[in-house]
Amino acid sequence: MSTSVGAVAEAIDEGVLGERVWFYANYHCNLACTYCLTESAPNVARRQLDADWMVARANEARELGFRSLGVTGGEPFMVSTMPDTIARLADVLPTVVLSNATLFHGTRLDHVADAFAGRPIHIQVSLDAPDAADNDAGRGDDNFNDVTNAIPRLVERDLKIRIATTTVGLDDESLARLCELHRSWGIPDEDHVVRPIVARGRAALSDMGGVVAGAADFAAELCLTADGAFWSAFGPTVRNGEVDTDLLVTRQTAPVSVPAAAMLRIARGAPRGDDARLGIR
Amino acid sequence: MSVVAPITHEQAPLLARPFYGDGDPGPITATMAHVPELLEVALPFIGAVLSPSSIAFRTKEIVILRTSSVMACRYCIDSHTPVALDAGLTAGQVRALRGEVGHDVVTAFSDQRERTLIAWADEVAQGKGAASDETTAAMVAAFASHEIVELTLLATVTLLLNRYASTLRLPVAGATIERLAADGFERAA
Repeated sequence: MSTSVGAVAEAIDEGVLGERVWFYANYHCNLACTYCLTESAPNVARRQLDADWMVARANEARELGFRSLGVTGGEPFMVSTMPDTIARLADVLPTVVLSNATLFHGTRLDHVADAFAGRPIHIQVSLDAPDAADNDAGRGDDNFNDVTNAIPRLVERDLKIRIATTTVGLDDESLARLCELHRSWGIPDEDHVVRPIVARGRAALSDMGGVVAGAADFAAELCLTADGAFWSAFGPTVRNGEVDTDLLVTRQTAPVSVPAAAMLRIARGAPRGDDARLGIR
Repeated sequence: MSVVAPITHEQAPLLARPFYGDGDPGPITATMAHVPELLEVALPFIGAVLSPSSIAFRTKEIVILRTSSVMACRYCIDSHTPVALDAGLTAGQVRALRGEVGHDVVTAFSDQRERTLIAWADEVAQGKGAASDETTAAMVAAFASHEIVELTLLATVTLLLNRYASTLRLPVAGATIERLAADGFERAA
């Protein structure tokens, strides 16, 4: 069963369905964050999506009425051709790519800057605290130093940067200092997202106090992965090496109209996206 | 041990949740849940074919148990033995349908219509191509067209489940094993 052109746009207008389609481009990462949703690390199964496949799905998504794309992982830039892939996706729809920003050096930075120039692309960089000690506790040694050195270089290249802070609770003073930091780079408050650690993936196996959340808590955003289509980018999480299925929508991901139809049927019986209890997006 | 791990209630995919109710939905549903978009169309169809209908409960269980026996589906034979007893079949008739040594259907079933049905179920399950002219003629004489259609659907859905359950080595529920023992039945070989 697939969905008709117009049904998606209508659902987005009504707030029933999110406007963005997410791609889990790959699951491997140069970091191994303590709260990682996908248990990503350097040597995990890559579950990588093919570039042409992503572009084909992006075109289908646009035809259906979706309005933007997201690319996440793992660390997408572990895939050397990812800058070109994201450029191709952004030629279809505005794209945000989530990154730890620790791989933007030398020719790779040049590659990203050249590929992204003039295109509707935001890089959303993770930075969890205004201090190395607090940030690196979750994200690994030297991460704060790497990220705070990388962001100014990215901004200098006219790349559009957002900051994402994932936390179990940042005190007001720390949040203020973190905001001073991103403002000093020329990144405005509207491009700083603060979100809770969600008790899924690696965070579910620790006692770090993440938020327990289900489908009703996540915005209804279609997320395509090598394992199927999921409800929200928080859906295809990994625990003890197994992909969680509680937010699985369909195994079939192509054409996009098939999982989109299933998402719509579920979403019509679920809370509106903008009413989601935790506003997790 | 099942070839595919059944999906737990906690991990039930969104489209599969209505089929879980408040607890364990059984291994057929819990394994099909790995592909929820197929589960949500397959289960209502399977359920509609197997559920109470215009065909008598007893008649349907004859087809299900006999087909499962011919196909040597341990899961389906064990699961439907208590159901067949509940449908009014005697222990001797159930043993005959299960193909147990010393129990034949001609002795166990005096009703010619049921004998015809069993012969037809045997041919549907075993045969390649159409059932024999003789058995087909007997079925046409004994059952109305709509009954033949429904019984054919029932037999073929049972075949689907036989191969599904056998191939995936689905485990028989503990309660079913206890019931078999209480009724004096061995588990299917």
